[in-house]
Amino acid sequence: MSPADSPHRTPSPGFGLGLRTTHYADFLDAPQPVDWLEIITDNFLVAGGKPLHMLDRIRADYPMVMHGVSLSIGSADGLDAAYLQQIRRLADEIEPLWVSDHLCWTRFGGHNSHDLLPLPYTAEALQLVAGHIRQVQDVLGRRFVLENVSSYLGYRSDEMTEWQFLREVAEQADCLLLLDVNNIHVSSVNHGFDPREYLRHIPPERVQQIHLAGHSDHGDYIVDTHDHAVAEPVWALYADACRHLGAVATMIERDDNIPPLPELLAELDRARAIAARVAGPVDDTAVAA
Amino acid sequence: MTQRLAGLQRDFLGHLRNQPGGLPQAITPGGRIDVSRRLHIYHHAYRARLTEVLQDVFERTWAYLGDEAFAAVAMAFIDDHPPAATTLQDFGQALPAWLAKRFPDDAEIAEVAMLDAMLRTAFEAANATPLTLADFATLTAEQWARIGLAFHPSVHQVPLTHNAASIWEALDQALVPPPAARLDSETWLLVWRKDWRPHFITVGEIEALALQQLLAGRSFAATCVELDARFQGGGAVQRIGVALRQWIDDQLIVGLRDRDAV
Repeated sequence: MSPADSPHRTPSPGFGLGLRTTHYADFLDAPQPVDWLEIITDNFLVAGGKPLHMLDRIRADYPMVMHGVSLSIGSADGLDAAYLQQIRRLADEIEPLWVSDHLCWTRFGGHNSHDLLPLPYTAEALQLVAGHIRQVQDVLGRRFVLENVSSYLGYRSDEMTEWQFLREVAEQADCLLLLDVNNIHVSSVNHGFDPREYLRHIPPERVQQIHLAGHSDHGDYIVDTHDHAVAEPVWALYADACRHLGAVATMIERDDNIPPLPELLAELDRARAIAARVAGPVDDTAVAA
Repeated sequence: MTQRLAGLQRDFLGHLRNQPGGLPQAITPGGRIDVSRRLHIYHHAYRARLTEVLQDVFERTWAYLGDEAFAAVAMAFIDDHPPAATTLQDFGQALPAWLAKRFPDDAEIAEVAMLDAMLRTAFEAANATPLTLADFATLTAEQWARIGLAFHPSVHQVPLTHNAASIWEALDQALVPPPAARLDSETWLLVWRKDWRPHFITVGEIEALALQQLLAGRSFAATCVELDARFQGGGAVQRIGVALRQWIDDQLIVGLRDRDAV
């Protein structure tokens, strides 16, 4: 069975973009060559006003996926049930293709860092995260999609690699994965591992979505800033990911220094071309180089 | 609870808040950068992210204080008010009151910040369909005697002591703001949303007290009677009548409280 026939994941809807306020007019004024849009869930957990009004209008023309940043799936003191209900209500409204958040923790004991902090890759954390994902899936009534984050440190207590942890969580919780190819690259530089080794251990049938993004190079480390175009090593890794995973919904994730829409559409076209060449008979060596 | 993980997360958040703890010993050493630089990346990112949120909500306060002073304010506020809520929507709501304490001799700073915060709150407030003049045209005298007014969820007013509204408007137009000055009459700041955009005006005492009573659920007639008695000879009823017409035009009114009158 090919990954595309997976009983777990939704067939790929194609190529998408993160919906950002600066591009609302572009999407409202004319049809854009985008198959679907990803929203930042947390930006729309408001009572009313223009954000939800715009969301309704654009949702009428584009399928959407919901991507959150505040679930804190790895918090040792549990999930926020009220927040989970807010996600559920928004999902009921916009009927997303799927709902995702990050493999990280952001808060504990009444203090929320609002940063995607790394978890130790231990059996203890694995059991906790898998349990929380099952809880999320029970509330949302759908498979949850979990994204790998970039990280800048590891813990002495780690008992396995990130890719082993990710794979094991997906199996234990029966959830799906959002593979951020830029995050794999960023972490591989910061921690000194082989990003292709990471990719090889990702179960294709569990991967629902791919993120592509830019980063900032600080010389001896790089930071996942989403404020640049996708870098060449990330495009090369994306080609490898396409080879390994088959057709997976892919999007460009830009959060800062946001360019005019045509620039992002051009990047998305490059993703389309790479995916097509890798999937087809054409040798993609030039693209992956 | 998972004890080891809980301890690690407590130490990590302590590190972000400059508290001494065992986090450095928990981090894998070696690699291209040392442990202290790895920890610094997170320490910096925490403050940078929250500062960005404050810059976004308090854009005019930022312009008024300037980059350096606002950055110092943001750092000190973040340390005093580490975020607790799951989302960032309300982070910074305590900043105006915090600024009032930090700058007791420059009250206009807190008031500019209050206006920034109120506009953001109005922008995201719940939706409601405004009434039009036609909805009022058919009301009988008997109905006028009973009705109260339901206001749009974005409507909010607070008293002002300084010319913060003028300062905010100048900053909004990238002009040099007027010198801070204490207002010489009772003035209130009224914020609401119209056509998806937040708006504000300053209003005098009679209009403000009328709105305050109506927001509290008092009937329109009772409000007029009381304020007429309070401001004898001040033309309160006429002023409230003019204000009512303006509230309708500005889409502040979304319902009538007496069910029989609707």
